[in-house]
Amino acid sequence: MTILDVRGISKRFGGLQALSDVTFSVPAGQIVGLIGPNGAGKTTFFSTLVGLIRPDRGTVTLAGQSLVGLKPHRIAAYGMTKTFQNVALFGDSTVLDNVLTAGLLRHDVRVAREEARRCLDRVGLLAVANKQADTLSFPERARVELARALCTGPKVLLLDEVMAALNPVEMREIMDLIRSLRDDGITLLVVEHHMRAIMTICDRILVLNFGKLLADGTPREIASDPEVVEAYLGRSMEKHA
Amino acid sequence: MRSWMIVAAALVIACVLPLSLDPQGYWIRVLTFTFLFAAMAQAWNIVGGLANQTSLGHAAFFGIGAYTSTVLFMKFGISPWIGMIAAAGLGGLAAFAIAIPTMRLQGHYFALATLAFGEVLRVIANVWTSVTGGSSGISVPFTPPSFANYSFKLLLPHAYIALAALVIVTVIFEAIRRGAMGYRLRAIKENPAAAEVIGIDTTRVKLQAAIISGMLMAMLGTLYAQVAVFFDPDTVFSAASISIRVALIAILGGIGTAVGPILGAFFIIPLEELMNDWFSASVAGLSQLIFGLILIVVILWRPRGFVTLFKSLSAKIPGVSP
Repeated sequence: MTILDVRGISKRFGGLQALSDVTFSVPAGQIVGLIGPNGAGKTTFFSTLVGLIRPDRGTVTLAGQSLVGLKPHRIAAYGMTKTFQNVALFGDSTVLDNVLTAGLLRHDVRVAREEARRCLDRVGLLAVANKQADTLSFPERARVELARALCTGPKVLLLDEVMAALNPVEMREIMDLIRSLRDDGITLLVVEHHMRAIMTICDRILVLNFGKLLADGTPREIASDPEVVEAYLGRSMEKHA
Repeated sequence: MRSWMIVAAALVIACVLPLSLDPQGYWIRVLTFTFLFAAMAQAWNIVGGLANQTSLGHAAFFGIGAYTSTVLFMKFGISPWIGMIAAAGLGGLAAFAIAIPTMRLQGHYFALATLAFGEVLRVIANVWTSVTGGSSGISVPFTPPSFANYSFKLLLPHAYIALAALVIVTVIFEAIRRGAMGYRLRAIKENPAAAEVIGIDTTRVKLQAAIISGMLMAMLGTLYAQVAVFFDPDTVFSAASISIRVALIAILGGIGTAVGPILGAFFIIPLEELMNDWFSASVAGLSQLIFGLILIVVILWRPRGFVTLFKSLSAKIPGVSP
């Protein structure tokens, strides 16, 4: 069953064609990696999917529901949300309150608090629930972002570099978590620069280059696609993969 | 000692305090206005504190409230209590009308736009003489003292009504702060884009908060009219003595907390009166100068409000939660 269907998404910022005619569809329950060089349009694309940026053309359909022209909060209610690459927590609030606020999308305060504890437990941050969000380290804050997005009860979850600055142990934990979310029936789109992680966890990889979809295939296909290797991975591919 | 015990003690003191003052005297008037301004700052706090949208135009709703009940009483003999409900309706409507164009603005731009709206209403009230009486002002018609007409011989009942208003507005503020709306407003304050992405209808929540705040402010305007008996547009729509003073009280006390506006009002209103009392006989303007200097010192000493004083105290005394 197709959960997410993207047709001909284009977006221009002044003289820059940030996205051009991006088309693909995702069956429910996949982990899909989105890779590409810096400035390829990955974050712009995520922002477009969740409604923060309005595309010039194209349609996004989530579980049969058209999301064209909807505001982000409506898209979240239909079941798609994202984490922020540069981490956008409510810094003055506690970690628990950050996540609880997301739970209010589907629950009252009391139930949302329970949900928030459960989500924090999943990302391994229950111990710091009552700390002010600002006081956490960057990798911790990225995980709070993940817990907060999770607490909205998404069908499709877009993760924008949640593994940045993680040590190998933490990275393995996050990879396990992403797999377990997939096992719960959540479909995940993952932007990540760490090639080994992407190649390991993804069922499928999309390659974005200058706003265009360059390739779409299994990790094995992507790694051996000469066009991809030429355009993006280059020699560093041999070093990482 | 627990926080509910502090609240109970404060309430008892607040109830006894008016009885200890001369019921027709100067200080009971100051106390009544202190309660009233604390309630106004608390109403402001819903938008200004929780969403951090620093409105400098709340006099708009206050003035609408004062005029609505007074005009209804004067022209149609409608009791100010009912007038207060009409005031809430009009205040909410005005808040909605002002919020639509201003809510996309942030920081200084929001403050300036709301300030302008307040001033526009002041000008309108000054020229719309057929309804407001214009710059010569308006008097609440004299009636024999009765609760139904919200008319009393002494100031004492006014003090208790103002206290009741403060308690009610504070309870409403605290319910919002602790509830879903409070979480949503704080999220909007800290990161509007992230708030939207996790499912908060930021437009709707901001509108709701603005309307509640405007309604309460207008009702407090009615209370003011009944205490003051006579007022003019430049008083109730005043940018300096209503809008900015209310914001100042909340900021000085500590925005976003229920205690802040109360601490702020009990500092600013009596201090202003004392300054006038002590220095008005000497050089003209000296009292305002000293008042201003004290405010500067206090803001430098406690930039996040008096509440922080409370918190650092309770941290030192075990068992007291703020």
